[in-house]
Amino acid sequence: MREVSFGQYYPANSFVHKCDPRLKLLFLIAYIVAIFMAKNFYALGACALTFLVIATVSGVPIGKLLKSVKAVLFLLAFTSLLNLFFHSGQTVLLEWGVIRITKEAVYFTVFFAIRLFLLVLTSSVLTLTTTPVSLTDGIESLLSPLKWIKFPVHELALIMSIALRFIPILTDETGRIMNAQKARGADFETGGLVKRVKAIVPILIPLLISAFRRADELGDAMDARCYSGSKKRTKYKKLTFTWRDLIATLWITALITGVVLLKIYTPALL
Amino acid sequence: MQAIEFEKVNFSYEEEGTNQNADGVFEFASAFSLRELNFSVQEGEFVAVLGHNGSGKSTLARLTNGLLSPKSGKITVFGMDASDAKNLFEIRKNVGIVFQNPDNQTVASIVEDDVAFGPENIGVPREEIGKRIEFALKAVGMEDYRYSTTTRLSGGQKQRIAIAGVLALKPRVMILDESTAMLDPRGRKEVMDVVLRLNKEENITVLLITHFPEEALLADRAVVMHQGKIVMEGKPREVLSREKELVACSLALPKPLKISRSLQNNGVALSDCLDERSLCTQILDKVEKGAYKAVEKRTNGTEIEPTGSIVCENLSFTYNPSSPFATHALNGVSLTINAGEFFGIIGHTGSGKSTFVQHLNALIKLPTAEKKYKPKKGKKKLELAPTVLSVGGFDLADKNTDFRALRKKVGMVFQYPEYQLFAETVFEDVAFGLKNFSENLSEEEIERAVREAIQTVGLDYETVKNRSPFELSGGQRRRVAVAGVIVTKPEILVLDEPAAGLDPLGKEEMMSLLHRIHDEWCKTVVIVSHDMDEIAENCTGVAVFSEGKILASGTPQSLFSDTEITQKAGLDLPFTAKALLLLKENGVDISCGLKMQDFIQAVTAFAKGGKDHA
Repeated sequence: MREVSFGQYYPANSFVHKCDPRLKLLFLIAYIVAIFMAKNFYALGACALTFLVIATVSGVPIGKLLKSVKAVLFLLAFTSLLNLFFHSGQTVLLEWGVIRITKEAVYFTVFFAIRLFLLVLTSSVLTLTTTPVSLTDGIESLLSPLKWIKFPVHELALIMSIALRFIPILTDETGRIMNAQKARGADFETGGLVKRVKAIVPILIPLLISAFRRADELGDAMDARCYSGSKKRTKYKKLTFTWRDLIATLWITALITGVVLLKIYTPALL
Repeated sequence: MQAIEFEKVNFSYEEEGTNQNADGVFEFASAFSLRELNFSVQEGEFVAVLGHNGSGKSTLARLTNGLLSPKSGKITVFGMDASDAKNLFEIRKNVGIVFQNPDNQTVASIVEDDVAFGPENIGVPREEIGKRIEFALKAVGMEDYRYSTTTRLSGGQKQRIAIAGVLALKPRVMILDESTAMLDPRGRKEVMDVVLRLNKEENITVLLITHFPEEALLADRAVVMHQGKIVMEGKPREVLSREKELVACSLALPKPLKISRSLQNNGVALSDCLDERSLCTQILDKVEKGAYKAVEKRTNGTEIEPTGSIVCENLSFTYNPSSPFATHALNGVSLTINAGEFFGIIGHTGSGKSTFVQHLNALIKLPTAEKKYKPKKGKKKLELAPTVLSVGGFDLADKNTDFRALRKKVGMVFQYPEYQLFAETVFEDVAFGLKNFSENLSEEEIERAVREAIQTVGLDYETVKNRSPFELSGGQRRRVAVAGVIVTKPEILVLDEPAAGLDPLGKEEMMSLLHRIHDEWCKTVVIVSHDMDEIAENCTGVAVFSEGKILASGTPQSLFSDTEITQKAGLDLPFTAKALLLLKENGVDISCGLKMQDFIQAVTAFAKGGKDHA
C-alpha cells in the first residue's frame, strides 16, 4: 500500500489530463444527461463515439479502463438477464416453457448494457485523468456560488484535501498497529462475530488516538502558518479555461444538440 | 535588533491537580510549564535550546509565535507584544515553526500546493506566491520535487518541505522544535545543512530545540532549560562541557567529551575534545614529540557459543509483486544470529531492515511451496536456491508451523511502540499479549508475570498498574509497551529502533534496560538502529543492510574498521571507530573494541606504555 498512490489516477500528459477539472466534471454530467436522453442506437452511437475519442486522446491504457467495468459486471449480468426475460415485446424469437424472449427485449438489453458501460467507462476516464487534488479544486470552484448562502465551501474543500492527504498515512499506520498487536498474539482472522469485533478494539483505539494527535499537531502547524479560515485568503492554483476546454465544450454542446435532434427526428427504439 | 524577548514569563497547563506524586513517576501535568523565564534572542543569532523531555523547551517555542499565551509576564517579538491578539498574525508571519513529526505538518498532497499554503493564508497575490515557492524550494534544495507527492518523500525531504512551507512566509525567525528527532542520520544532516545555510546566507534568526549535542555545537549560543527555567547559557562548547550542571539537568556530556574526561582521569594529559579530530591531533602531537611510542596490540571480544538462533538463507521479498510499484525489499539475504547475542542491524532507511525483521516472527510469511514464484510460460525456469528461515527452532518455510507458538517465543517491539497502547490500565495492556498466548493462566499467574515485566522495565508496579497508559510520560509509555512484549518471556526479542525520539538520558536508560532484559529474560536480543554509537556500545554482532542485501556482518570492531564496507554503505561511524581510524591513518595503530570503556583503556594503556618506555 505504501507505494501505491491513492485513487486510480493514471499519470500522463494528454489533452484530457490537461483539461480544466471543472470542465471535466460538467462534461461528465452533460454526458450522462445525453446518455439518458438517447432513445435509439443512432444517439447512443454518437455517445459511444464521444467516449472512444476521449478514451483514445486520454492515453489511458484500455486495460485500466476495463478494470473499472469489472466492478459492475455482476450488476450488468443480473439486470441483463432480468431485461431479457421480462421486458415485454411482440416479436417472439424463442419460447420455451415460461421463458419467452422477444426481439424488443434483446434490443433493450443490448441498449441498456451499452448505456451502463459508457456511463462507467466515461466516469472512470475522469478519475483516471484527474488527480484527487485537482478534482477537489474543481468541486470547490463549482460550488463557490454557494458561498452566497454562507455555505462553507472553502472549509469543505480543505477538509477533503486533508482527508485525501492523510489516507495513505493512516493506512500505513493501521498496518503497523495490526502488526504490532499480531506480534502480541492478537488474532484477527478466526472466531465468531463477537470475537472479531472485540479483536478490533486494540487496533481502533491506538488508531483513533493517533488520528487525534495528528489532527492536533496539524492544527498547530496550520495555525503557525497563519491559517485563519477563508477570509482574505488568496489562491495559488487558479483554474484556467484554455483552448482545450473550448474544444471540449464545443464537442459536448454538439453531442447534446445531436442527441436532442435525433430524439426529435428519428423514431425512438423504446 | 532584539528579535525575541521574554520577561518574567510564567506559564503552566491547567491541570495542576494531578501533580501530586512525590515519587516523580507522573511528571505529565507538571511538565511543560515555565517559571519566571527571562530570555532573549538577537536578530541573526543561532541559538540552541537543550533540555530533557518536559523541561519546557517546546512551550517556549509555542509561546513565541502565539500558539500559547503566558499566564503572566511579557513576550515581545520584534517590538510587538505577543499577548495582544492584534499582533498575532504579524508575529506568526515573522516567526515560523517547524515541528517534530514530518507527516503531520503538510496540508496538501502536492509539494507545491503545500508550500503555497502559508502565502495563501496571508493573502499574497498569485504571481508572487509562484515566486515564493520557487525561492523556498530552492533554499531547501528541493526544487526538483515541486510537483511530487508529499507522502512519497523521505523523512528528511518531508522536513525540508516543512521548512520551505515556513520560508514561503518570509519569516525573520525560524524555530525548529526537535525537527530532526524522528529522522535518520542522513535526513538529520540534510535538515541541519539547510538550517545553517539559512542562518548564514539569509540572515534568518534560528532557535533550534534539540536533543543532539552535535547539533547544538553548530549554534552561536546554547541555552539549557530545566524545570521551566533557563539554568545554563553560553557558548555551546563551554555549556556542553560543564558536566556536573548538565547531569543535574538530566543531560549528558557529549561522547567525545566524556571520553576525553575519562582519559584525563586516567592520567592521560589531554584537553577537552568535542570531536575525534581534536582528540587524535592531541595524541598524534604527543607521539611526534616522543611522549608516546609503544604500540600495544589488544584484542577484545567475548566468545559466544555458535548456536544459530536465527538462521536465514536466500531470503527475498518483493512488495506489490507484478505491479508497476513492485519494490524488491530483500534480495537473497543470508544471515545467522547466534543464541545469546545482542545483535545490531544497521543500514539506511529503505535498505530492507524492517522487512527482514518482520519476517522473523512471520508478520510477513514466506510464500509456501505451491505459491512460490511461478515462472511465466516460455520463459526459462529460474533456478532459485531454496529459502531457509529458522527462528528459535521454528521452520518458517514450513506452512504447518505453529505461528502463535513462534510469536510467543519471538517478541517484537516496533518503532514508537507507545503508540500501540490501547487498554484502560497499564496492567490490562501488559497482560494483553500474555492472555492471547496462554489462555489457561490463573489470575495469580497473570498478575505475577505482569508484575515481573513491569518491574523489569523499571517502573513501580503498585503505582502504575491501575493508571491509564496515556497519563504517563512518553518514555514511561515506551517502557510499558516493552513490558507488554517481554511479559511472555520470549527467547528472542527484536526491537525496531527502541531508542528513537528519546532524549539522551532516555536513550541510555533504554539501552541499560535492554541489557537487563538480555541478561535475565531473553537470550537473544536483536535491535535495528541508526545510531552507530549505540551499536558500537551495545552489540556483540552487527549486520549491514544495503539495497535489500547484507553487505557485511561481524563484530562491530571488524565491521567498522573496514572502510571499504562503511563507505559503500554510506554509513556513519561510531565516535570511537572514527578516532581509531584517524589515528591509524597517521601511523598509530591502536586496536581495541569499540565500546567506550575499551577505547579509554586502550588509549590509556597506549599513553602510559609510551611514557614508561620514554
